[in-house]
Order: sequence, then structure tokens, then C-alpha cells
Amino acid sequence: MRHIRAALARIAGFFTGRRADDDLRDELQSHLDMETAENIRRGMDPDEARRQALLASGGLTQAAEAVRDRRGLPWIENAAADIRYALRALRHSPAFTTIVVITLALGIGANTAIFSVVRGVLLKPLPHRDGDRLVYLRHSMDGPGGANLAFSVPEVRDFRNGAPSLAGIAEFSQWTLRYQGDDGAVRIDVGLVTGNYFEVMGLAPVLGRLTEPRDDGPGVPPVMVLTHEGWMKRFGGDSSIVGRQVRLDGKSVTVIGVLQPAPFFPGRAEALLNMVVSEHHTSSFMVEGRTHRMTEMIARLAPGASVEQARTEVAAVYARIQSAFREAYDPGSRFRVAVIPFKTVLGERARLTLWLLMGAAAFVMIISAANVANLTLMRGVRRQHELVVRAALGAGVARLRRLLLAENLVLAIIGAILGVIIAVGGVRLLTSLAERYSPRANEIRLDGVVFGFTFAVSVTVALLLSFLASLPREGSFASRILAGAHRISGSLRKHRLQRGLVVVQIAVSVVLLAGAGLLTRTMIRLADVDTGLRTEEVLTMQVPLLTPAEILYNPASDASAKERYDRMRDEMAALPGVVDVGIGSPMPLQSSGVRFEVKAEGRAPAAGEAMPRAEFRTANPDFFRAAGIPILQGRPFSTTDQRGSGRVVIINQTLADRYYPGEDPLGQRIAWTGDILRFTPISDDWRTIVGVAGNTQDGGLDAEPRPVMFMPFAQELAIGGGFVIRADSNVAALATAATRIVRRIAPAVPIENVLTVAQIKDQSVSPRRLNAALVSSFGILAVIIAAVGIAGVLAFSVSARTNEIGIRMSLGADSGRVQRMILREGGVLLAIGLVLGVAGAFFAARVIRGLLFGVEPHDPTTFIGVTVMMAAIGIAACWIPALRAARIDPAITMRAQ
Amino acid sequence: MAEKLDVKQGTLALMILRTLEVLGPLHGYGVARRIEETSKNCLTLNYGTLYPALLKLEQEGFVIAEWRQSENNRRAKYYALTAAGRRQLAREARDWHRTADLIAAFLAPRREAP
Repeated sequence: MRHIRAALARIAGFFTGRRADDDLRDELQSHLDMETAENIRRGMDPDEARRQALLASGGLTQAAEAVRDRRGLPWIENAAADIRYALRALRHSPAFTTIVVITLALGIGANTAIFSVVRGVLLKPLPHRDGDRLVYLRHSMDGPGGANLAFSVPEVRDFRNGAPSLAGIAEFSQWTLRYQGDDGAVRIDVGLVTGNYFEVMGLAPVLGRLTEPRDDGPGVPPVMVLTHEGWMKRFGGDSSIVGRQVRLDGKSVTVIGVLQPAPFFPGRAEALLNMVVSEHHTSSFMVEGRTHRMTEMIARLAPGASVEQARTEVAAVYARIQSAFREAYDPGSRFRVAVIPFKTVLGERARLTLWLLMGAAAFVMIISAANVANLTLMRGVRRQHELVVRAALGAGVARLRRLLLAENLVLAIIGAILGVIIAVGGVRLLTSLAERYSPRANEIRLDGVVFGFTFAVSVTVALLLSFLASLPREGSFASRILAGAHRISGSLRKHRLQRGLVVVQIAVSVVLLAGAGLLTRTMIRLADVDTGLRTEEVLTMQVPLLTPAEILYNPASDASAKERYDRMRDEMAALPGVVDVGIGSPMPLQSSGVRFEVKAEGRAPAAGEAMPRAEFRTANPDFFRAAGIPILQGRPFSTTDQRGSGRVVIINQTLADRYYPGEDPLGQRIAWTGDILRFTPISDDWRTIVGVAGNTQDGGLDAEPRPVMFMPFAQELAIGGGFVIRADSNVAALATAATRIVRRIAPAVPIENVLTVAQIKDQSVSPRRLNAALVSSFGILAVIIAAVGIAGVLAFSVSARTNEIGIRMSLGADSGRVQRMILREGGVLLAIGLVLGVAGAFFAARVIRGLLFGVEPHDPTTFIGVTVMMAAIGIAACWIPALRAARIDPAITMRAQ
Repeated sequence: MAEKLDVKQGTLALMILRTLEVLGPLHGYGVARRIEETSKNCLTLNYGTLYPALLKLEQEGFVIAEWRQSENNRRAKYYALTAAGRRQLAREARDWHRTADLIAAFLAPRREAP
């Protein structure tokens, strides 16, 4: 109580200082008067009485100061004075202030922006209740497309029964449904989930209810929980949505609730539904088929159970089922299950890129701080005279240090404010980058934690800067004043520190430049990759006339769909400028993910070798010509390859090399195989190879080409389906006309990915381009700052050595010699920095190896190029101060002494 | 004159409160004189010690100050004990006695065990 009261009194005192000062002066004066009077009464003469009284008082000023400290908040009063002083001092050197503030703002801005992304995507706790207890089970095997197989329902069941450290296993099956909206039909990505899903995931609704175990099974009405994203996107966040009926795949589905915002893996989801909406998911194929893998498993660790425990149990269960069901696990393909914390899985694609950017930003910060430190040091030396005088007038070293700190804090805070403004813009750009890598991009915020980080960085920089500058030691003031301390001279130690900072700047710049160079070359290499298609004047569009359910459960729909595809094709071919129109599925440069094992007649893989798997694709006769995919051997499909005629296929180069290395595959027979075919409408009949097509980069520009088997569009069910349109000029302009044709013939059908091949390719390159551009801009920024740094330090050195240079010149050194002397001084720093930088870059390149494509981490071209570039810039930066040194007039210098 | 003593931290407040209790409202000078006399001039209080202490007591609400005419017709700032100040004095005096007894017991000549 009394402390609070005292504190309030002090705060009040802080504001009423001036009036209280008068009062105090009167009080002390009255004390002095009374004491003087007493002394006189004792018999002293008035002067002596007053002198004695003053002596006893211990000094009125000191007393007033002591009372003042007690009365208000001296800490704040001093700080306010320091800051006022700092602002005044900085106003007097606007050039210094501007450079420092801009440098810091760039460094702080870059760090703030990237940290906010790192935090949102990688560090922030998951929105799920106890999200760190969630683990993702990843089923994988060797070979293309084997990285994430998902699980079959029988496998899930085995883990559910055999791994007690998993308290609950949620099932999530990625699926697309055709949503009939007000403005046409669209396919939406959804997740089909078990009733325990939300309980296991620890998610809550923001509206309505979530699905529960009672929504499981075949005999229940289909219900839908909108994800927050889907709710916003499709329904604009309409709060009356719960209870509404929507049309999905022609069925009426009730919206029962809206989920809190949460990330999904492996893909986005606009809604989560119970399994009953898909006949397929409740069919015996799905429920009983051990190789029918369409389910993602996310589990919650049992209380007290560790991830390690779960790994051991999962491995044991998996070993048991592998030996019990040998036919489902081809031993050559190395099937395996990994248990990974869910948070890690969500961040896995973004992690390397983000840490790369964070590292680059941190490097920029180091360089900025080093530059500011150098500027401060130089200014510190120039201000030594001022500081000595201040010290002589009674400012203690602590007080001087505080003054410096106040200055640096003011600089850092202004820098931080500008930096945050830069970050606001940067975050928007980075969020669009992060969206490609992470399902958590919408969690990126400039929030309190991020501002805390920014603040901590700024204050740390300010503290470092303040304690870097060496202050005159107490006691050394007098001698300095005697020495007439207006001669500018830095101690050797200070020079060494400045030089060290320049070396660091150069080294860090080299590392950044090398990274930028490698990423830029990666991007160029990627853009140069041959897609296997004609890039110019080819337009693709996906038009899935049938939903998977229609294909699987209504075979009659196939014929009418094919008839409509043909009509659309004919009309498109009649559009002006159109050269060829192909029909096929899926579109080139897109991966269907539909992959099965392939067997070749008379050839079996060697023991222990993986069974080859190929992607399932269909094409009509014009498809290859329209897409510009070369037929390397044999023939394309012809109009005679019809349903009922002999089954024929075209394989791609990769599959041909796999099964018929150095042989002629034409006329050989090949077939789909594997247990899983039982669950599909695909026949395992032998098919005759009639052609070999060139490889296409369907898995991405940086992926290995995958084995592909093309079937005649006419001989297979119309799964997916779309058009490849080639024109003689300006094909992009045909998109509208082609879309109109589809709309007229099939009004309620989604039209997706209307893109030219060039656009598809660009989409694949653009994240890398952004990466390269960001790191390059950091690199360029670093080089500029470093160049300013080295030039500044040399310039300072020249001005500190003016005297010496003057003497040298008067003793006969010509200007060329002086210039070389200064250049040599800079050259040594540059050389050391380059050596350290190249060494650092070697290490850094190994770390980012995973982000490179088509270029070795130690690519000599990049390394040599970067070194030469940095050296050239460094020498140019040294030249300016060297020239100035050479122009020193010895006569003027000597006279100035 | 006896050796000068430093005013122990915390004891000055007690001395001031006690002085005001015994003598009633008093100005700073009077308080200083009284403390010096009571200590038989072992203690001297300069202004820089006395006035911050008085201010602190005032901030804590143990004394109140007001300007008055002194006995020989000068204006002076008089400090008077408040009710809270009286309670505080009683509490501190009690604590002080106990501490003093304790220290005395500690420093007492050791008695041999019987």
C-alpha cells in the first residue's frame, strides 16, 4: 500500500517538478537561515555563522538534486533528456542519420517480413488442440510417385488395432466433387473423413456441428462441414449457411457446420464430408481392398506416449502385415511407413526455402549492422574531442555511454519503424510465395510476436553499437585535454575492429551473391528444360464431363460423354486459326497420379527389383500432333483403334528404356497388372505396342521423366478428359471461343486449367524465380552496403592519415605511390574477405543443395563469376578514397599543423 | 567529540518519526537539531540526507507538511505525524527492539557450558 502510494506520489512529482523546486528552495533556505541565526546567537559573527551553516548543509545544490531524484522519476527524466539530446545530435549530421536509418530499415524490414513467414508457416503452434501430439503416417516406396502412397482402409484398421500409442487415428481421403453453384459447376477439393476425425485432430466448429461417429457408415445422410477457407470462398462467410442443402455430384448434401481455420495436408480442402457421399468410399473395393490406397492417416499420440514409441509400434505392425499379405507389398519397391509430427509435415516443403531466405535476411542484417557500426566508430572518433569535453564538464563514463545508447536506440527505432513499413509490403509478396509451399500460408501475420522479434533485433543492434565504441577511460580525460585533443586519431584497436567489419561485410556479400547466382542459374536451367511438348501456340483445357462416381457406377454415361467430347472437338477444330485439336486425359504437363504396375510379355523384373509402374493416360489420334509430342517409333493412334478392335498402346521413351533397352518395342505386348486393378474399370488384357512417344515433364520441370502408357481415348472410359488445341498464331485468344463451345454443349460442367503450355511452364518456374529474385536482391543490397562500407573505412583512414601522407609526399612520394598505398590497404581487406566468403559460400551451397536444379552446388562458373564481380566492385570502391589521397597537397597539410 | 557515525539506512526514518512524536509538528531544521542532540552529536545530518528522507515519509503518507510561522516569526515548513505515521512508528520501534535484542544476544560474551 505505502509503496503504491509512494509510487503515485513520485509519478505526480514527475509532472509537478517545477513548482516543487521553488518550494524546496524556500525550505532549504529557511533551514539555512535558522541555522545561521542559531550560530549568531551562539556568538559567531554573521559571515562566519553563515559559512558554518553552509558547511553543515553539505551543499544546497547537492541536497536539491538528492530530493529531486527522490521526488520524480529520475530514470525517465534522464532518458528523456538523453533522447532529446540524441535527436538534436542526429539532426546535426543528417547524412549519417539518413544512411544509418536506411541501412537499418532495409535489414530490419527484410528480417521482419521473413520472420513473420517463418513463424506463421513453421514455428507457430498448430491451431489444433495439443497440435504437437498429432503425427502423420507416411506410406512410401521407391520410384516416381512413390513418395506418398497413402493407406488402404484395411491397413488403417491394422494400425488402429496394433498400435496402442496412437490414441486415435483420423482418416482423411482426398476427393473432388462437382459443386453446382449459381454460376455453373466447379470441381471442389474436399476431404472425406471418418466420424472421429475432428475429435482426433482437436478442431472445433465456428458454426454448427462437426461430423461424429454416428455419421459413419453407408446408411446415413451425407453431411458437409465447410472449412473456413471454403466457407469464405464459396459462401462469402455467410453465417446462415448451416442447414442449407447444396448439390454435390448431383446429390443433395446438408451443410452442418463451419470449421475453425486449419491447415490440411496433403492438399487443400474446401469441405469435409462423411464417406457416404461417395459410393466408392463405402464400396467393398475401398473397405476391403488392401492395395486400394486413398486414405491419409493422422493420429493423436496417447497420453504419455512418445513419437519414438509410436514409430516402434507402427514398424512392428507394418512388418507383421507385410509378411501376412506378401502380394500387396512388392519387395523390390521397398514399402515403408514413417511417423512424422504433423507440424513437421505441414512445413516440409517450405522449410528449406524459408530458412534460406531467413539466412539471407540475417546476412543482410549483419552487413547493415556492420556498416552502421563502422559509421558509428568513425563518428565516435571524430566526436572524441566533444566527448572529452563533456567528460571534463562532469559527465561520467556511464552517462556518456547512456548518451551513445540513446542515440543508437533512436536510430534503431526509427529504422525499425521504417523496416516494419517495408515488411508490410514484403509480407504480401512472401505470402504468395509461401502459398505454393505451405498449407499454413494464411497463418502468416505481422503480430505481437513478430513485432517483439523486430524490437529485440533493433535493441540488440543498438546495444551492440553502443558498446562497440570505446569511450575515453575515466582519469584519462585530463591528459587528453592537456594534449589538446582535437587531433583526430583512432587507436589501433579501433582500426582493427573497423577492418574486421569490412572483411565480414565482403565475406557475407560473397556468400549471398553465390547463393543468388546458384538460384538464378537454377531458374534459368529450369526455364530451359524441354517439356517434351511444343511450347508455342498450344492451349490446354480440362473438361471433366463425368465425375469419378458416374464413370464407376454408370458405365452407360461413357458413350454419351465421348459423343459430346467429339462434338466439342469438331467445333473447336472449325475455329479460325486452329491447326489441330487433340482429346486426352489428363492434360500434358499435369500429373493424374493414376499409376499402376506394368508387366511385359516374356519379361519379368529381376528378383528384388521394383515392379515398373506407369502413369495411365489416354489420347485420341490427333493428341500427339496437337501437343507436339514426337512419336519416336511406330505410329500414333488411328481412328481404327476403336472399342472392340485390338487393344493398342503407345509407351513413352522412359517405359521403353525400362522394358526394352536397345530393342524394338513395336509389336511387343504389355499389360497393366496388380491387385488394385480389381477396384478399377481398367482391364489387365495384353495390349500391343504400336508406338513410342517422347518423354514429357508431367511431374514438374525438375522431376525425372516417369514411365507413361497411353491408351486410345476411344478404348477406355472417359476419365477426366480435356482438349489440346494448337493454332497457327495467338492461341491464347482462342480460350474464350473454346470455352463458349464447351458451355453450349455441356452447360453444367466444370472447365479447368485453361492454360497455354507456356503458361503452365511459367507456373512451374515462377516460385523459383521469386526465390532467385529475393536472394539476388538481398545479394545486391549486401554488395552495395559492403561497397559503401569499404569505401567509407578507407576514406576515413585517408583523412586520419592526411598528415602522414602529407609528410610522405613532401619527402618525395608521388601521387601514384600514395594511391597504390591506399589501394593496397583496401586490397588486403578485399582479399581476406573474398577468401572467407568463398569458403563460406562452399558451405552454404551444400546446405541449399535441395533447392538447386541442373547446377552443381560448387558450380565453378558461379563461384568464379561472383568472386570476380565482388573483387571488381571492391576495387572500384577503394579507388575513390585512393584518388582523394593522391590529391592531398603536402603544403596545405603541413601548414594546417 | 565522539567518533561520527553514519546514519544507518532505514534508521533515519524511525528517528524522524520518533522526533515528531515526542516534539509534535516540527520543521526540518528542528528535526535535524533534535536528532543531532539526541545522538550527543555522534550524527550530523546534511540536507541531502534529511530532506529526501522527509520527502519519502511524506510520499508514503506517514507525515504531512505545511508552511507555518515559526516561534521566532519565520516561515518554515512544518512536518507533523499522521495516524498512519504513528502506526508505522509503533511497528518499526517494535521491530527495532526485537532486532536489537537479537543482535545483543548474539554478541553477548559466550557462557561456558555447565
